Amino acid sequence: MSASVQRLEIAASPAAARLAKLNRLDAVGLLITLVTLAGAIIWAFPLYWGVVTTFKHEYEIVRPGFQLWPEHFTFENYVHVLLQTKIGYWYINSLITSVAVTILVVMMAASAGYAISQLNFPGRRLFWWMILGSFMVPIPALIVTHFIVISQLGLINTLAGVVGPQLIAPVTVIIYKQFFDSVPKDFREAAVMDGANDFQLLFRIYLPMNWGVTTALAIITFIGAWNLFLWPFLAVSSEDKMNITVGITQVHDNFGVSYGRDLAVAMLAALPVALVYLIFQRRVTQAIMLSAGIKG
Amino acid sequence: MSATLDQTADAAAPHVELRRVTKRYGSVTAISDLSLKVDKGSFTALLGPSGCGKSTLLRMIAGLEAITAGQCFIDGLDVTETPPAKRRIAMVFQSYALYPHMTVRQNIAFSLSVAGESKKVQNERALEVARVLQLESYLDRRPAELSGGQRQRVAIGRALVRKPEAFLFDEPLSNLDAKLRVQMRFELAKLHADLGTTMIYVTHDQTEAMTLADKIVVLEGGVISQVGSPLELYNRPANKFVAAFIGSPSMNFFGVDVAGVNGRTASVVLPGGRKAEAPLKTGASGLRSAELGVRPEDLLFVDPGDAAAAFGGSVRIVEHLGNSTLVYVDTPAGQLIVEGEGDLKVEPGEAVGLRLNEAHAHLFGADGATL
Repeated sequence: MSASVQRLEIAASPAAARLAKLNRLDAVGLLITLVTLAGAIIWAFPLYWGVVTTFKHEYEIVRPGFQLWPEHFTFENYVHVLLQTKIGYWYINSLITSVAVTILVVMMAASAGYAISQLNFPGRRLFWWMILGSFMVPIPALIVTHFIVISQLGLINTLAGVVGPQLIAPVTVIIYKQFFDSVPKDFREAAVMDGANDFQLLFRIYLPMNWGVTTALAIITFIGAWNLFLWPFLAVSSEDKMNITVGITQVHDNFGVSYGRDLAVAMLAALPVALVYLIFQRRVTQAIMLSAGIKG
Repeated sequence: MSATLDQTADAAAPHVELRRVTKRYGSVTAISDLSLKVDKGSFTALLGPSGCGKSTLLRMIAGLEAITAGQCFIDGLDVTETPPAKRRIAMVFQSYALYPHMTVRQNIAFSLSVAGESKKVQNERALEVARVLQLESYLDRRPAELSGGQRQRVAIGRALVRKPEAFLFDEPLSNLDAKLRVQMRFELAKLHADLGTTMIYVTHDQTEAMTLADKIVVLEGGVISQVGSPLELYNRPANKFVAAFIGSPSMNFFGVDVAGVNGRTASVVLPGGRKAEAPLKTGASGLRSAELGVRPEDLLFVDPGDAAAAFGGSVRIVEHLGNSTLVYVDTPAGQLIVEGEGDLKVEPGEAVGLRLNEAHAHLFGADGATL
């Protein structure tokens, strides 16, 4: 009898140890989940607060206290922004400048990346180091210089003036160069044997073969251009030429800032970017990884 | 494959010629003062081990590699400075280099497309080439959807569509499995027979070179070791390198003392003390020692005590290949490979005697040159 109990205890002890280990793991897992959840709430709360605020009356917003849901639900802020401001202009301006920046940055960066990667010309190395060097200079540090140049070109208060300085995109050139470097040289040589020139090589071989990179870079460039505030804010003073991000600053009334209306414009401004992100989620992640130096 | 493309062959005139070409990469000389003539309509193989310069040579003919010194002629025209696309030659790459984002049709018609030919002409020519290569049903597929052999055909098709004066192949079969390689070898030979176009083929596989080419150029360290027909290289190698490189399994080599020279025959003393007569291709007076080369099929098994046995030995390993048997025998001359019949009955550890087919033996001097 005692021998059989002992055998059972021996058999049970590894199982019990496994169970204890699982319980420990479950506890750790639960803790990690709670911490992650707390992080997610901390991150998402301002977003939630912003959205909810747009559906509140102004007196509710400025009233002291903490109100998670509107007492009186209203679309007044959106109605005002859509009907009483130049948001239509701002949207169109944002669209024009962002699309122009995206197309030009991709074309210029792809061409520059191709030239540095594939062509032999005097000063190639110097160009490469200059691009790498420019990558290390923060754009806001150049903003005064940009203003002077754009001003002397007579492009202040124009959409071209908004677009111009945004075309400096060394990271995009670097990413293209790296990808073009990794294309096996046989492809180039086969096309050269077939009589292709460098333009045909770039647009018919190299770019289509790196189409994923191009779409990822285009999306992230578009989002960056759409969200840009500082330069368009400095370059444009006329309300008709403003981007949506700058337009937010124009939403006020005689009593000063209206938080509900400001947040309503901000939500409308963020909407296209959010949609682009939701539709092209994987590509955006890939682009962020590319920019961080992780090849996707 | 049936040829419908117009190609004429003038078998007499040299079609591709390299005159005293040298290629240097910094301080490294890849090709040294090399001259070569390739006849029109011939199938010439550039054969050699890795790093011997055969691909460099092909790329210089293609124009993908600048020539450091010397000249390259195609059809009598100096093309040394001519861009690759204007040399009227086509090249098939080892990796096939098929554009992955294009269909088979677009891949084949790419050269016509960049030349600005109309869509109609592109389609007609692509279809014509696809018929020759039996690729009609794959025209709208992408390379990733094709097998290795089909990709190889598309690569050939892309070369074929340009109606080139000469085809250059850079180890085109090395990515295929053994069975497919044999099939593609046959198809390439048939294509050459049908088109009659000059073909220059780089390979390190001597079987490919022997079966496909009517002329083989053996390269070693950037210089030509020997040029000749496959049988010429096999039966009359100019030096020990060619003798060792051509033939599978490789030729057996061992040192011998030369007892005397009688006209075109040398009397040699084999390791172990037996004597043999080896033919001489050149005069070799005053010769004391040399290296004897014997192909595995020129060593025959006899009884260990047989008076005709050149060596006694012990069997180490037996490899049955079906149609033949390779036997590794430890002898006083070192380990020798013997090629016997497929049904040869011999066991590891067995004592054997080996007779030499003296008429087919080769003598090499200290510098490796055939004596």
